[in-house]
Amino acid sequence: MQVNLRHKGSITILDIDGNVIGPDALALKNIIDQQIQVTHNEGEPGGKLNLILNLERVQMMDSSGLGVLVAAHTTIRRNEGSIVLLNLGGNIRSLIVMAKLMTIFNCYDSEAEAIAGIIRS
Amino acid sequence: MGERTEQVITLSLPSSMQHIDLLKVIVTEIVKETKLPEDIQEQINLAVIEAGTKSTQHSNKEEPEKQWTFQLILTENTLTIVPDDEGEEFAREETEQVITLSLPSSMQHVYLLDVVVTEILKEIDFTEDIQEQINLAVIEAGTNAIKHGNKENPVKKATIQFTLSEDRLVTIIKDEGDGFARQEVADPLDPENLLKSSGRGLFLMEACMDSVTYEDNGTIIKMVKYTRTPEL
Repeated sequence: MQVNLRHKGSITILDIDGNVIGPDALALKNIIDQQIQVTHNEGEPGGKLNLILNLERVQMMDSSGLGVLVAAHTTIRRNEGSIVLLNLGGNIRSLIVMAKLMTIFNCYDSEAEAIAGIIRS
Repeated sequence: MGERTEQVITLSLPSSMQHIDLLKVIVTEIVKETKLPEDIQEQINLAVIEAGTKSTQHSNKEEPEKQWTFQLILTENTLTIVPDDEGEEFAREETEQVITLSLPSSMQHVYLLDVVVTEILKEIDFTEDIQEQINLAVIEAGTNAIKHGNKENPVKKATIQFTLSEDRLVTIIKDEGDGFARQEVADPLDPENLLKSSGRGLFLMEACMDSVTYEDNGTIIKMVKYTRTPEL
């Protein structure tokens, strides 16, 4: 798994490439936690992370990977930031549906929509 | 310390030419874990395939039904491959193919499981969606055995046995842990558990496979997937 980090204005975008299974889940968690940390340190008190996870190139994700998304959602929302998912492939979409997490995550099929979604929230 | 970093992976597979590819992907994946330079890794891959082809042709002539069992012993900078005559004896039907993999309990080996399953599934008639489901279920079961069963103790082994027949794939995962009671594991779909960051593994296995049964206090998990939905 490779993760590319980009910024668009105040929005952080992680382009994830490869399967998120086994030890990759922990690696992804560390990357997200670091972004949460950086936002906190750089911003005013209450600095919040606005995060887009681009899953276009993720073919498979296991329960640990899903757990990382859920944990990220909880932490980011607690800090009044936002997290949205972009470009879910069929497998990842069914995984999220199976786990009844479709109502938890806002999912978008284009980066422009995802950014608009974050700005609206 | 030297012995601690040594990892022994045992592999048993039918000795036929079609399984050379499986051997190849396993060795390629294992060699990646060494810190050997890439050209050396490539040489190892070639040597293994060569040896595998020779050995297979030989056993095919002598005993076509023979299992081919060996150990891959991995340290930080060496890979030793030795035939393993200690392999478990088991009875199998003539039309079945049995592939067994025994791994030290390191989460790193989840990747190995992924490539092995992908390779094995090429030999049986599943749709792409179903292949993904099986792959996920095996990874979850492997993670369960390595992480929760064996607590990532590298001395303890996780053993995964795949039995392929025309209409189904049976996967049996065994760990050396204390076991667990399935009914005591919380339902991840329960609203109060929805936002928990763990606890979905067993649920996903059961959702992806046609049947999942827990034996020997949960230290043995048997999962079945049919090529066609069974008529109940």
